[in-house]
Amino acid sequence: MISRVRYVLREMWASMSRNKTLTAATVITSTVSLLLFGLTLLIQRGFDNQLEQWSGGVEMIVYVNNGADPSQVQVIQQELLRNTTVVASAEYCDEACATKVAQTIYAGDPDTLQRLLPKIPSYFKVVPVDKSNSDLLRSLKDSFRGLPKVYDVSTPDQAVEVLGQLQGFFGVRTLFIAVGLLGASALLIWNTIRTAMFARRREIEVMKLVGATNWFIRLPFMLEGLVQGIAGAVLGGLLMLFVNNDWTNGVRAFPAETGLEGFVVTDGYPMWVWGAMILVGALVGAIGSGTAASKFLDV
Amino acid sequence: MIRLENVTKSYSTEVTALRDASFDVAKGEFVFLVGPSGSGKSTLLRLMNRQERPESGDVWVAGRNINEMPDNKVPYLRRNMGNIFQDYKLLLNRTVFENVAFALEVIGRPAHVIRQQVPAVLDLVGLGDKEDRFPHQLSGGEQQRVSIARAFVNRPLILLADEPTGNLDPATGEGIMKLLDRINATGTTVVMATHDQRIVNQMRKRVIQLDRGVIVRDQSRGVYE
Repeated sequence: MISRVRYVLREMWASMSRNKTLTAATVITSTVSLLLFGLTLLIQRGFDNQLEQWSGGVEMIVYVNNGADPSQVQVIQQELLRNTTVVASAEYCDEACATKVAQTIYAGDPDTLQRLLPKIPSYFKVVPVDKSNSDLLRSLKDSFRGLPKVYDVSTPDQAVEVLGQLQGFFGVRTLFIAVGLLGASALLIWNTIRTAMFARRREIEVMKLVGATNWFIRLPFMLEGLVQGIAGAVLGGLLMLFVNNDWTNGVRAFPAETGLEGFVVTDGYPMWVWGAMILVGALVGAIGSGTAASKFLDV
Repeated sequence: MIRLENVTKSYSTEVTALRDASFDVAKGEFVFLVGPSGSGKSTLLRLMNRQERPESGDVWVAGRNINEMPDNKVPYLRRNMGNIFQDYKLLLNRTVFENVAFALEVIGRPAHVIRQQVPAVLDLVGLGDKEDRFPHQLSGGEQQRVSIARAFVNRPLILLADEPTGNLDPATGEGIMKLLDRINATGTTVVMATHDQRIVNQMRKRVIQLDRGVIVRDQSRGVYE
């Protein structure tokens, strides 16, 4: 048994060393396709996080007309808080406060800030009690719009909808590309194994004539494909962790008010994705090499 | 040991390599298959180790009809057969020892058995002192001896030799024949395809003559003609 294991490992290594260029090309393709596969999962997770955060932390912004005096603002606040079973809180942000927020959000875009600053309205940040009842939120929005000196009412439902569409758009397309590249990896592995078998056809012929079983002959080739798939997954996983780390640092550098922190994927999920990548890589390698080894090996 | 019953083999509608061939080979027998190129000698050998299957008829080896044998059993059949070729079919990147050991390694023999059996068989073929050499460092006769050692290292019941002296000069060919004769004397059945008239006439073993796929003569202690 030990001698067989030693034989299989030795032959696998010999075959990989003999076809260095093709092996490298196969591993690189596997790496790229599995990296894309992993990033697709992370992107999906990022959108999920962000959607959850936005829809979970839903709040209304009730904009007050510029020039409303304090008594008028007071009236609006009383109206907003009149029904405490519907509205949990209504926090006022005056023009100075709104300007400060705008300065933080548009810190990197002074032109836009300059255009906005003269007409930035004060507003109420209203948090409803039941955030999941979209009909109630819509009716609240309509009723608040009718209050005197209220300029507009906005809710994040449109943004959530856009984010959902973006998730569908990017998620499906990146998944298609990843699956296509995984197919390319399997074909490349298939071709590598076929080339390796062709290079060793004389040995295979002798092996068959002296009574080696097909499985014994196939095994080093299948293992070769498996190792190429797993190597691609390990390298792809490392790259994915690097990209995710870079992304996390980048997003965390944004001002907190932008509310984009949901796009940061942490909590061990990237490691889970890496595990999935290794599994998929092994599967792609085994399928590619297994079919090649079976197809080109007749008794 | 080997029985062919009305075996016919065609490679296309126009080429019939073997037509209605029938004969028996007893255990321990030495049989020459003779005839011109294309007469069907190699096809006969390939049918005996299941590299080919006949269109009709049966091939029996050691009491088993090998045409009906499932593919996954064929390797075990071949472990009881040694194959020798005109072009030796040695692995050029392996030493003499490794070439012979390869035959044991791929059927899962443990390392200690390989260490024991390979030097013994190399001594038998007269290459005990050349086990570290590569094929290109050997003469044609020596390479054929390595091929014989590889075929015989597993002590097969049957040895199939396809023109083993075809690439060798007469003196070297004679040495190879002596070696095959010694192996045959241990009880191994030898079936050898050849058109080396001198060897056949010298050995005076059973001769099966083929002509365009048909057995035209089967003579014990025969000559080439």
